[in-house]
Amino acid sequence: MLCRILLCSSLVCALLVCPDFSWAQPQTAVPEQVGQMQEQIDELRKQMETQRMFYENRMEQLQKQLDALSRTAEKEVRPERELEAAIAGQKAPEPAAERGGLSTVGRAIRSLNPQISVVVDTFYYADDVDHGINEAVFEQMAGFRAIGGEDHGEDGVPEAHTHESSGHEHGFDEGFNLREVELFFGADVDPYFSAYTTVGVSDDGAELEEAVVRTTSLPYGFQFLGGKFLSRFGRINQQHPHQWDFTDQPLIYQLTLGDHGLLEKGVQASWLAPTPFHLLAGVEILQGENELTFNQLDGDHLPDREGPRLGVGWLKFSPNLPRKHGLQAGLFGAFGYHQEAHDENADGEEDLRLDGHSCFAGVDLVYKYDSDRAYGFGDFLVQGEYFYRVRDLDVEDSELDPDLIGRTRKDTQDGFYLQALYGFRPRYRAGLRLDMVGLTNDVELPDGDKPDYGSSWRLTSMIDLTPTEFSRIRLQGAYGDYRLIDGMQDVWQIFVQLLVAFGTHGAHKF
Amino acid sequence: MKTCTKAEKTFLCMCLVLFCLLGTFSAEVHSKKLNVVTTTADLASIARFVAGPYAIVTSICSGKEDPHFLQAKPSYIVSARDADLWIRVGMDLEVGWEPAVIEGARNAAIKEGSIGHLDASEKVLRLYAPTTSLTRAMGDVHPYGNPHYWLDPLNGRIVAGAIAERLARLDPSHAEEYESRLNEFRERLDARMFGEDLVREVGGAGLWAWQVRGELGERLDARGLSPQGGSWWADTRMFRGVHIITYHKSWVYFCNRFGLIAAAELEPKPGIPPSGSHLNEVINNMKARKVRLILQEPFYSTKAAELVAERTGAEVVVVANSVGGEPEADEYLSLMDLIVERVRNVLK
Repeated sequence: MLCRILLCSSLVCALLVCPDFSWAQPQTAVPEQVGQMQEQIDELRKQMETQRMFYENRMEQLQKQLDALSRTAEKEVRPERELEAAIAGQKAPEPAAERGGLSTVGRAIRSLNPQISVVVDTFYYADDVDHGINEAVFEQMAGFRAIGGEDHGEDGVPEAHTHESSGHEHGFDEGFNLREVELFFGADVDPYFSAYTTVGVSDDGAELEEAVVRTTSLPYGFQFLGGKFLSRFGRINQQHPHQWDFTDQPLIYQLTLGDHGLLEKGVQASWLAPTPFHLLAGVEILQGENELTFNQLDGDHLPDREGPRLGVGWLKFSPNLPRKHGLQAGLFGAFGYHQEAHDENADGEEDLRLDGHSCFAGVDLVYKYDSDRAYGFGDFLVQGEYFYRVRDLDVEDSELDPDLIGRTRKDTQDGFYLQALYGFRPRYRAGLRLDMVGLTNDVELPDGDKPDYGSSWRLTSMIDLTPTEFSRIRLQGAYGDYRLIDGMQDVWQIFVQLLVAFGTHGAHKF
Repeated sequence: MKTCTKAEKTFLCMCLVLFCLLGTFSAEVHSKKLNVVTTTADLASIARFVAGPYAIVTSICSGKEDPHFLQAKPSYIVSARDADLWIRVGMDLEVGWEPAVIEGARNAAIKEGSIGHLDASEKVLRLYAPTTSLTRAMGDVHPYGNPHYWLDPLNGRIVAGAIAERLARLDPSHAEEYESRLNEFRERLDARMFGEDLVREVGGAGLWAWQVRGELGERLDARGLSPQGGSWWADTRMFRGVHIITYHKSWVYFCNRFGLIAAAELEPKPGIPPSGSHLNEVINNMKARKVRLILQEPFYSTKAAELVAERTGAEVVVVANSVGGEPEADEYLSLMDLIVERVRNVLK
């Protein structure tokens, strides 16, 4: 542009400077020529002036076009920023912390605290048994808790022998019970571990339930877990009482593992297989301190076994089902050392000591149907577990009958439960549970006797209302016919339970 | 000069072979598509637009369930285990099941706080963020604000940006493609919202900025432009100031964007089903404000809504609030189309 102007100007200048523009011009009269030349010069000046104005206009136009172009380029970037500003302008101002509001900084600081929640589990209980249900029924269950000794009564029926004191078992009192106030604390510890602990507080004091440290970033689907924890076999054992669908636990677990289930100190390794469906395998190495099945006693005549004394293995499989359906099936087994001491002649002192091992195995299954309706209306659940246990013990010491020393007592019991729940109205569920224990209930006594005690059953029904996910009210009734050491006994039980939870929301597992 | 022993030569060859194998393997890994798992189908739909052929996107919720109360199934754990990017709605919508799924999946890449975990609510326009302390006596309250933000198309636009940004960080080789797909999605959304002609004339972002400030009508008048029929904005101009009733407080973002006013909910408090006494109050409220429309999702029972509608002459509109909730709402833009159409049919 500039070049052209310069070129034109130089040409014009050249035109001006070089008067010999036309080569062959004859010499005419000088004054006429001067007059003509003057006219020509004026003419040229006017032309230059118009051309200058023309180029100036042109330059102005081009400048305007350039400006317009740069403005459109800006237009594409500026509106997005303008939009962001408009959005920021709409956002509510940060509430000041002093007004009790939740400012982002305050919230961030508080989020480093552990999640804390409290569950209060209370119920009213009544039954038609004279003494406590534990004393009168569960501790007298033939084969499971009470095994007939050599002393036979006059009518040939074996007499009941009081079993080892179960000071640890709480049992249900008739009337109002505070089962526990469960405190839960959980948090991520650091990029590698997370931890939680549950403490049960009751009239008897505070009891540590679980204290678990878990890895969070191991590759290939592995996870290690250690501390004191409920063994993850089956379904019921790993649930805390307030998570159960019935107020009490299935009979088979009450009789073989006790009130707290298999709650042990130890480590667990689990592996989520890289399969297209959910397959979880786990192995636990545990101390072995379960009073009923994996006990260790201090005492003379009994070998002193150092822990860990118990190993548990389990497998859980879940196929990918269509949207509203969920299914999980499991397999489990355990083996560990066990010792028992009995007071055969009811004189308050133990006189029979046994040592050996126990093992158990079983299967579990749960199916859940999730209707798309709100408040649990139409949801359905079926769950069952079968549990088979063998205790294989040798008599280490027998004060009353030294001949028994070295002989074996082997008892085998099994049992199952099957429960179904249905959300028959929004927020209401009805449930039915069948417990059967002792389908296998054989004992091989050291003295050669082989009593076969037979089975017991219980049918439980319940209705619960869950006003919100933080509260639940349940009415439960049960009737059972139990094979006790000195005959059959039928029992009615009723529970009215209230559960509330408060604190940070916890996520629910399957 | 040292000569290599046979063993050393073999070792070197093996290293070479291994190196080549690793090279091919890692090349294979790099050319694998990203595995993106979202909690809701709306996030999945937006993520599909933005990611295109460069990622496989699946969603945990199908749009037919209420994501508040989803039961964590083991199959969700399997999806999470294989995910490279996990996207959630956030604001505690999925707090009842998301932590259990992520913990069970043992996938360190998608742990909260890592680059493979995206909370889509970061930059969205939030409503009902509480300014006072909360108690659960207020019902199922959300301490971070109302989480149903995807029903405002502006938030859909913002979420798409957040997803594109995160995809670009995880997969820088396709960053440009994600950006251009993001712009395409935004253009389509803007065109649905305001009309193609207006978007071409003024530009989508500019129109949104005016709409957010409430100046859109005036600005268009000033330029001699008129609302384009068939666009959400033009078709919903009649909604301005109209009172409606909803079942749950899940429509606040839709109402806010399109000028509706949610006068009351059928739930007396969030998470509590309708009660007789509360419904009587609602009926009186509706008669006073001449409410003609009750809006709710398909997973709630229509009993309460129908009872109220009968007594007030209002109409019940059941429409999905999430992609996949109904067959016509098969992706994000058609979900918004469906909601606008259904509400418009009653209010016009």
